Amino acid sequence: MSTKKNAPSNLGALLNKKDTIIALLMIALIGFLWFETTKFEKVPDLFSNNIPPEMFPQILLIIILGMILIIPFEHIFLKKNGKNIDAGRDKPIEKSTLGTMVILSTIVASSQILGAAITIIAISIALPLYWGEKRLKVLIPYIIGFPLFVIILFNIVLGVHFEPGLLELIKN
Amino acid sequence: MEDVAKGLGLLLEFENIILILSGVLIGVLVGALPGLSSPMAIALLIPFTISLDPVAAISMMAALYCAGTFGGSITAILINAPGAPPAVATALDGYPMAKNGEPGRALGLAAVSSVFGGVFSLIIFIFAAPLLAQLALEFGPAEYFGLAVFALSMLASMSGKSSLRNLISGLVGVLIGTIGIHLTTGVERFTFGSPDLEEGIHFVPVLIGLFAVSELFKQSEKLNAVVERIQAKALKLPSLLELKKLKYTILRSSGIGTFIGILPAEGSTVAAIIGYNEARRWSKNKDQFGKGSPEGIVGPEAANNAAAGGAMVPTLALGIPGSGSTALILAALIMHGFRPGPYLISETPEFVYAIFGAMLIANLGFLFIGLIGAKFFSLVAFIPKKLLWPAVFIFSMIGSYSFASSMFDVWVMLAAGLVGYFMDRNGFSAAPLVMGLILGKLVEESFSQSMIIHDNNFFALLESPVVLLFFVLTFLSLSSPFWVKFFTKKAVSK
Repeated sequence: MSTKKNAPSNLGALLNKKDTIIALLMIALIGFLWFETTKFEKVPDLFSNNIPPEMFPQILLIIILGMILIIPFEHIFLKKNGKNIDAGRDKPIEKSTLGTMVILSTIVASSQILGAAITIIAISIALPLYWGEKRLKVLIPYIIGFPLFVIILFNIVLGVHFEPGLLELIKN
Repeated sequence: MEDVAKGLGLLLEFENIILILSGVLIGVLVGALPGLSSPMAIALLIPFTISLDPVAAISMMAALYCAGTFGGSITAILINAPGAPPAVATALDGYPMAKNGEPGRALGLAAVSSVFGGVFSLIIFIFAAPLLAQLALEFGPAEYFGLAVFALSMLASMSGKSSLRNLISGLVGVLIGTIGIHLTTGVERFTFGSPDLEEGIHFVPVLIGLFAVSELFKQSEKLNAVVERIQAKALKLPSLLELKKLKYTILRSSGIGTFIGILPAEGSTVAAIIGYNEARRWSKNKDQFGKGSPEGIVGPEAANNAAAGGAMVPTLALGIPGSGSTALILAALIMHGFRPGPYLISETPEFVYAIFGAMLIANLGFLFIGLIGAKFFSLVAFIPKKLLWPAVFIFSMIGSYSFASSMFDVWVMLAAGLVGYFMDRNGFSAAPLVMGLILGKLVEESFSQSMIIHDNNFFALLESPVVLLFFVLTFLSLSSPFWVKFFTKKAVSK
């Protein structure tokens, strides 16, 4: 009776919760990619020299799958070696990091409309302000000076093409 | 000898010297800035070097690589925050020595041992690379496949929490390398109907994302960290008498570092840690370790710089990267139209010797820069993170975009940054993924060719003694945690 009662908790001790979730996600991804390989265009054996295009990716997927199955239990071996896989991820992701991800994704998404110059200025303003930089003496020269330096160096000196974006609309 | 002279002649152009010295300066700077690393700087530099002459471009990166390893020790000694992972072991005794009132001496010991380690490994490089290349010229596809499998197995012991996760990262990198049109059959693989994916995912935005953008996300967690600095007016070179006392430690660590560097995938960090441990094991003053022992500084420093030179040997001679940074140099070589491997040395030896010359200049250059600028470099760690990291992101965006003038690459960079951040959080390192991505093509090509040659009989590959040797080495490498434990237990029980 007691053995039955203990079974779930024993399993719980064997499996690392976070690693189990990661493993399940990766298995789902592998399943999807495997399905994709079955949709690769079929090539006659003679043409592919008996090495069809899906063969190599499928071998890789099988090996990766085999390794992923160990991941939920790996914490046991790591613990024996004095390593804690949960160190560093036991705390939730900082709000500042999540905010940074959102800001940068938004700016990249809108960069084609904004154009390169305005995107650079937007990053120079948005990130330091979001991160709490309030010293105007430092901030103002940075917001003006750094984008100017970047535009001169890359666009004028190195000849990197910068999309005009909004600037062209304003010009017209 | 003629090739050596030709190679060095290529370097002596004014523009090349300036670029090498710029590489040294950037290397020491990024090395000294906690969070920034030489792989990141090389990744950011790659797209901007497309228009440069290949000798100048690769020499600049090689110089940056050497100097970056040393740069990390400046902040390790002065603020106990290693600017780069290979300097972790240097902080163990460098910072206590600085705290004891001898920061200049600690910096001097680090600089001189770094130069010695670097030059030592370059001497080995100049002899070993052509020999290794000559041997590799005899390799067929099967032998190359065996070598690539061995190199992938070595990813397990790259820095990071878990060998298994390193291997998974490496294989995921190889898998990413299969995206795009299959060269043999012309079939589209994993393109999901997107024309942007037909040519595959290029490694430049992936490298920038994994090394620079993911680090930005990590740094955004600790923006207000306060560091305390020990004042260092100048770097103080050690006396001849002191060097005489330390000569065996420096020599031993240089040998260890070069050997570890030559092993595929084993980088400077592993070399530095082993260098430190060996310095302690052989020391007569073990109790001084952790309290500012000079041996505790020169041991890891000679080893990590020697590993930098050693890592160039398999990179150039075999086309198999010796470390994360050399994987990026390998990527740059491919981008400049070179085929790293034995043919690089047999067909363009002067190019290889030019890289050797650049690394030699870099080793002497950072000693000089360290002598005159130690005080300045210790200050760069105080550049506000809130201004530094937006700048890094802007450089990352421009670098990814300018490579092919494609916004798709910027998205790849951002996605790689996000993936890299979550990978790191869960114990998966980015460096094995990058190495897998770069090795991917070689693995698949050599695998396909050997299977065609051997009529799809995998076991026929084992008829080659070289392949067999590589497979045995792969087995030993993968099983090393078990047999190391086994022998340690046996030794303890005796």
